[in-house]
Amino acid sequence: MKNSCSRRSLLALLTGGIGWLATRPIAQAAKTAVKHVFASAKTPEGYDPTKHHWLMCIDVDRCIGCGTCAEACKAENGVPRGASYFRTWVERYIIKKPGSNAALRGDVVVDSPNGGQGGFPPSLVPRQDILKAFFVPKLCNLCEHSPCAQACPVGATFDTPDGVVLVDPTYCIGCGFCIQACPYGCRFMNPETHTAEKCTLCYHRITRGLKPACAEVCPTQARIFGDLKNPTENDPLQEFIKKNKVFTLKPHLGTEPRVLYANIDKEVR
Amino acid sequence: MQRMPPQVLRLVLLTIAIVATYGVARALLTPATFGRYGHYRGAALEETASRTPLYAGAKACNECHDDVSGKATKGHKTISCESCHGPTRAHARDPDVATVKLTDNTCLRCHLSDPARPPRHKQIVTIEHYPGDRCIECHLPHQPNKSP
Repeated sequence: MKNSCSRRSLLALLTGGIGWLATRPIAQAAKTAVKHVFASAKTPEGYDPTKHHWLMCIDVDRCIGCGTCAEACKAENGVPRGASYFRTWVERYIIKKPGSNAALRGDVVVDSPNGGQGGFPPSLVPRQDILKAFFVPKLCNLCEHSPCAQACPVGATFDTPDGVVLVDPTYCIGCGFCIQACPYGCRFMNPETHTAEKCTLCYHRITRGLKPACAEVCPTQARIFGDLKNPTENDPLQEFIKKNKVFTLKPHLGTEPRVLYANIDKEVR
Repeated sequence: MQRMPPQVLRLVLLTIAIVATYGVARALLTPATFGRYGHYRGAALEETASRTPLYAGAKACNECHDDVSGKATKGHKTISCESCHGPTRAHARDPDVATVKLTDNTCLRCHLSDPARPPRHKQIVTIEHYPGDRCIECHLPHQPNKSP
């Protein structure tokens, strides 16, 4: 009886196997080199995402509702024009006086015409009916347990080591699940690229040592931005947390937002 | 040596072929930077960061205009130049490129009376506060409590 596994075929099999193992790293290196040429991005040199942890906090008492932040964000990030595309925006909360019933406060009227861009028009609620009113700037809450990242079926949304939640537009298939999943309404579908978009904390600015555009232009320093891993002397972020009672939006959802709000009212969602 | 039954040999070869195909496909399809920081494409961070900033920052303004920025007083002292003057990167590269034109609306977007603005913030009702006059006729933009 002739053995079917001859010396010749075994040697051929072994050579093939060793050949495959040997060419694998070479093929991978070649692929990396090709990718590097085609996807060479001008990134700031010497930036290590593992050595930073960025955070933005909001002081609601300081916001005057000028909407400069919303405008600067659109310009800086090329966000599509149109009243439903925002990475950051400002809301005006008006809490009316209670009616005849024994309530502490009346109806809450919230508006954000064009995201607050260009300032707010006079409110339709007459002044004598207003119990109190304030502006609330909104942006991505940079959740510790992001519902958007969990909902993404292709893993296009992720947490970076420096504390930002980003979208990889080359992975995003535009299904919109993340937009539904975000309890803060911070995402939208870009009508041109058909991919999900959101606040990146101006990733292209913070990696170059600049503040995000909204924090840069805020005339009243209502947006406090800093690096938790590299606190400076009299760090504004550390001072803000020390001096204020801070709160997060919708804490009951367990999303663990990292963005902290100071002096916020219970009506704010 | 006992000969391997042909059906077992076929199964072994098939298994090896499937595993090898998976290995090759995985090596070819996984992006080079996948897994650098986590379960995602590491190069996505660099691609997001590759955008060019439009707002140059106060440092860029101060290189030429430190005479103006240093003299701002009162409430306008801490305001960034680009809050009112708009994105300045193009202007910083080529001073002939003008920044945005400022109008009364630039003032009013912050100083128009609104119940939601903090009471300590200076606000006006336009029909009561010198209607028809321009803001800069009475207020210096950089020293708002001084008149020209």
